Parts: sequence; C-alpha cells; structure tokens
Amino acid sequence: MELERIGVVLRPRVTREALDLGAAMLRAHARPVWSAWFAFTLPLFVLCNGLGVALGWPWLGWVLMWWLKPLFDRLPLYVLSRAVFDQAPGWRQTLRGQARWPWRRTLAALTWLRVDSNRALRLPLDLLEGSTRAQRSARWKVLRRRLVGETSLLTYFCLLFELVLFLSVWLFALLLIPHEWRPQSLIELVRGDTQVIPTAWVLAGAGVAYLAMSVIEPLYVACGFALYLNRRTQLEAWDIDLAFRRLRARLQGVALLAGALLCFGAWTPAAQAQATAEVHTAAVAKPASVSLDAVFGARAEAPDPRLAQAAAQAYRDPRFGGEHTVRRWEFKYTPKPATATVNPLFPWLGRLLGGFFQLLLWLLLIGVLGGLIWLGWRWRGRWLVREEEAAPALSPPISSMVDAPAALPADLAGAARALWQAQHRREALALLYRGCVEQTARELRQPPAADATEAHWLRQAQAIDDPQRSRRVIEIVRTWQFAAYAGRYPDDATVEQLLAGWPAQPGAST
Amino acid sequence: MIDTVREIETAEGISLRLRAAGALPRAQAWVLDLLLRGVFFIVAMIPLSIFGVAGNGLAMLLLFALMWAYAVICEVWMDGQTPGKRALGLRVVHADGTPVTWLPSVVRNLLRAVDILPGVYGVGLVSTLVDPHARRLGDIVAGTMVIHARELPAGQQVPAMPALPLPLVLSADEQAALVDYAERAGQLTVQRQEELANLLTPLTGLRDTAAIRQLVAYVNWLLGRA
Repeated sequence: MELERIGVVLRPRVTREALDLGAAMLRAHARPVWSAWFAFTLPLFVLCNGLGVALGWPWLGWVLMWWLKPLFDRLPLYVLSRAVFDQAPGWRQTLRGQARWPWRRTLAALTWLRVDSNRALRLPLDLLEGSTRAQRSARWKVLRRRLVGETSLLTYFCLLFELVLFLSVWLFALLLIPHEWRPQSLIELVRGDTQVIPTAWVLAGAGVAYLAMSVIEPLYVACGFALYLNRRTQLEAWDIDLAFRRLRARLQGVALLAGALLCFGAWTPAAQAQATAEVHTAAVAKPASVSLDAVFGARAEAPDPRLAQAAAQAYRDPRFGGEHTVRRWEFKYTPKPATATVNPLFPWLGRLLGGFFQLLLWLLLIGVLGGLIWLGWRWRGRWLVREEEAAPALSPPISSMVDAPAALPADLAGAARALWQAQHRREALALLYRGCVEQTARELRQPPAADATEAHWLRQAQAIDDPQRSRRVIEIVRTWQFAAYAGRYPDDATVEQLLAGWPAQPGAST
Repeated sequence: MIDTVREIETAEGISLRLRAAGALPRAQAWVLDLLLRGVFFIVAMIPLSIFGVAGNGLAMLLLFALMWAYAVICEVWMDGQTPGKRALGLRVVHADGTPVTWLPSVVRNLLRAVDILPGVYGVGLVSTLVDPHARRLGDIVAGTMVIHARELPAGQQVPAMPALPLPLVLSADEQAALVDYAERAGQLTVQRQEELANLLTPLTGLRDTAAIRQLVAYVNWLLGRA
C-alpha cells in the first residue's frame, strides 16, 4: 500500500463523520462502482428469478438475491479500495480482480456469518488485509473496539433505507396511477383478500427490491470501508505518516539542492562563499535558541496573578454569564389547585375550551381584517396613479437647492440681538457669523467665498492688520463653532460683548 | 481529494470548515426525534383521554404542534439542535455557517411536506444521498445545511521536555503535523511511533527512541515551552 497516493483527506474524524466520508467516496466514484455492480449482479438477478419461476417458487429469487449480498459486497469494495489508493478500475478489471481476492471469508459471510451486523467493517479486514486466522481475530478485536455500536447502527439504517426506497417506488406508483386504472388484483392484495400472490407481482417486487438494494448496498460497503479507514487513521496516524513523508521528501530535496549548489559554485571562490552562505541559511545552521522566556523576559507558563485577577474580573461581567440577581413576585403560600370533580365537568370543560378557541379564532379574524384595513389605509396613496407622477418634473439642479443666503439686514447687531432675546439663539449666532465673515472679507478686500469653512476664516483672521479686530473675528467664529457643532451657547453678557463694535456694527471704530 | 467539508472564507480571510452531515447520522437523529415525540404524545394522551371530546381536540392540537412547530422551535431556541440532533452532535446552520434563524428554519421544516413524499421520506433520502453536502430539498430551498457540531477527537497533552529549537523553518502544515504527532503518540504502539519518527531522520538525524524524544523536544519548542 502506498499511502502517498491516497485520494481522500485523512484526518481523525468522529465516527459518524467517517460514515459521511463513505458516502462522499461513493459519490466521487459512482460510475465505476455501479457499472461493476450491475455487470455482476444483473445476470445473477435474472438467473435467480428464472430459477425461482422454473421451480414454481417465485419468491426464491427475492430470497436468493438477499442472501447473496455478501458476495455482491466484494465489487464496491474492490473498486473503492483501488480508487482510494490508486485509480478506479473499470468493470472488466473489477470482475477479473475478484478471482485474486480470497474466497474463504466470503463463504463464511454467506453461511454462518450471514446474519452479522458488523459485516461492513469485517469486509475490508477480511478482503484487504489477508492475514492468518489468529492474526485476524486479534486485529478484529482491536479494530472493532469503539465501532461495534456504529457498525450495527449502520447495518440497521441501511436496511431501513432499502425499505424506504422500496416502499417509495410502490407508493409513487400508487399515487400516480388513476384510481380507476388500478388493477383489481392490486386492490385485493392491499385489502388482503387474496391468499396467493400472482407471480408477476412477486417478480415486480423482486425487481424493485433489487433496485433498492443496488442503491443502498454500495453505500453500506463504502461507509464500512470509511469506518475502517478512519479507525486505522486513529490507530496508525496515517495523516501524520503522510505529512511526515511529504516533509521528508522536501528535506531530501533541500539537501540535494544544497549539494548541487556546492558543486556548481566550487569553480569560483566568491561563488563558493556565497553558496555556503545560502546553505547556511537554508538548512545547516541551528538558529540561536529563541524561547518565549527570552522574548518576554518572564516564564511564559508561570501563572500570572495579575492575569488571573483580570480574568476573574472579566468573568464577573454579566455578559460572560456569572451571577444575576432576578427579582420577581412569588406567592407566599402555594395556591390550591381548583379541585375538579371529574365527571360533571366533562361537557363543561369541552364547551369552555371550544368557546375559548372559537373566541381565539374570532380574535384572529378581527386581527387579520384590522391589519388589512390598516395596510390599505397606509398604502392608500400608492394605488392611484396620479397624473403628475406619470411625467415627473426634472429634479431641480443641486446648486439651486443650496439656500441662497438672504441679504444681511442693515442693522446687523440689532437684528441679532432681537433674535437672541427671542430665544432663537442659533439663528442669532448664525447671523452674527455671516455678518462677521462678510466684514472680514471686506476688510481683506476679498470676494466673499461661498465654500469657505470656519477654519478658512480663522486662518483669514490672522491676516487682518488690526490685532484687536483679528481677535474679535476669531472669538465670533469660535463662539459660532461651539454653538453650531457642540450646542454650547454663550451667556448673554458674552453675546452683548460680541455684538458691540466691529464687525457687528460695521461703522464702529473698534 | 475527497472530503465532506464545506470550506467558507470570510471577508477577513478566515476559513470556516463546515463538516456536512450525511444521510445516515441525520436519519438516526430523525428516528430519535420521532421516538421522543411519540413517547411525549402518548404520555400526554393519558391525562387528555379523561376529557372526552375536548381532550381529543387538544390532542389534535398537540399533534399538530409536534409535527410542525417542534423542529422550528427547537432549532431556533436550542442552537439549531432538536433533542435528537443534539444527541448525535448535529446542528442546523445557514449555508454560510451562521446560526439558523426563524425564516429559513420555518421554510426548511415546511418543505418536509415535499421531502416526506411519498410518505416515507423517499425524496428526502434520495436528495441527501445525491447532494454533495447531503442537503434535502428543504435545506436547499432554505439555504441551510446540517453539520457535525461535536468537537474532533483530540489527543492528550504533549509530554513536557526541555525544548529544542528546530534546525530549519517549517511551514505551518508541517509544524501542525509535528504537534499532532506529539499529541497522538500515546494512542499509537511504540513500534508505530518509532516508524513515524524514523521517517523524519533527515530532520532529527536520529533513529527510534532518540528520534521520538527529539521530535517531542521540537514540539515543546513549537509550543513555546522553555
């Protein structure tokens, strides 16, 4: 067995997950599995049923096909075991390969081990490992240790699945055939009127059972094989084996490369020096011992009291669970249950319950009607297509949506004071700010910029020659900023101070 | 490579691995749920049978709730697990791995009406066998899937040894394999441990017991022990 060529992802799995791996393997190799399956079993199916009909026991084919299951199991297992480690064989190859597999264990499975719920797990052990009897029983003991329950469940559920598929086909047929077309014999059969079942029905049943078996039996074998793979991965760490082999190949490759570099670079001393340096970094030198202790200066694993304290603190946070105090009202005494004498209450209780649920239904109806009316009221405008909406006007250009500022009043200080006293504080400060900005622009002989920010005016204020005016502009802008962005308004005295003199009164000297 | 994992990469570059649960574990969980509900119903019928026709009505209501509301309520309020799923370590999640919410849960359980056709879950069985993530039709429509929620079997603590720095830089996969080896060595026979350790003679330069000790020392270094 060459583990490097394995085609499934090996990792330790929960046993139930291994079952799903079996289904996935089967899905991936469906074509070779089922072509080999039908190539082998279909002739046998015909043969068995032919034999049954010839002998006058039509049910014999059914029984024989069921009995031969362990024989058929060899095919999916052969395909899957080859497919997992190598390439999936074609159906001819599979049939030829059967000759090389041991037959003795299959004979055992066909006779005294026929009713064995662990067959799925026994198959790979018997057919793939090929060991002596003593070895085999020892292996079986190790292999089955934690799997017996799962393999038995697998067997029973695969039986159940077969039954489900078998019944599904019949029930679908029953559903799809119109009532008057159903043959009388079937109805009699269902009603149990007939004692002797016609041969045609038995053969049809055998055919459907064979199809159901064809679907489920490869699944059964695949799941058993996956259980086997998983158990051996557990016991022998196949996944680690694979990773180590890959690492080994890489290391040997590195060593080869280093050797090649050495030979190649030996021609010139400089190149040689470089090559040895490369090898040095690549593989040979051991790096200086770096541990967590060296990096962090303290023992990494020593319990840190501060960390423990912080963790305890964190766990006390109610969001991480911890203790909650819940307050609620409770009866001081337990209320006595209403003692109900059983007999006279029967009709009562029925009527009561009936009335209750009727009331509930009426309430539900009222609720639904109310909801509908509410919805209608809410969406009342949407249902009428209005004339205006048919030809919607062009949306106004964005530039005109920005409010053009109204012209400033002549008496800026007065207007702002009036607004302030009327409790329109924000508007008052905005007016003051706008006036201030305009005056500043005039002072600096600049055109007033519509897109200038407060920060722009703060910078511009520095450029005013008069330091007092400059300071006042900064004060006003700052006051406005505090009011506009933080909702922090100045007191009346400060506002009065801001409104006095330039720029609120442009004519003022200061 | 064949695997049953659905891998999802989040926007943060974290890959989530959802281990899809197949037909067999799901059928087992379903049967368990069916038994639980059956027992509950029968136990509830005992007191209800005293009340005559009224009790019958209540029993019908209970049956309806057990058929249609049981799975939805359990899935939404019990972390995507009905009692049967919990017993088998399964969980319903959205296809992207997030916890299942009301609408998808209602949809996937309403569509049982289709999956149950023709009365014995034939459609659902075929769908779970064919779909690569073993979803039944209800799952496909609701955008949910059933995953294995139980933790993977883990090994034991790596034995403490004086740490030895690795002589060369290993990739993350290779480091993980080394740590796996040290954790699971206890489950292997001594011969198998040596066999595996001998594979890495190019790394350790040693064989057999000495190689095992060397590897465990490397792992101690990888785990940041002194």
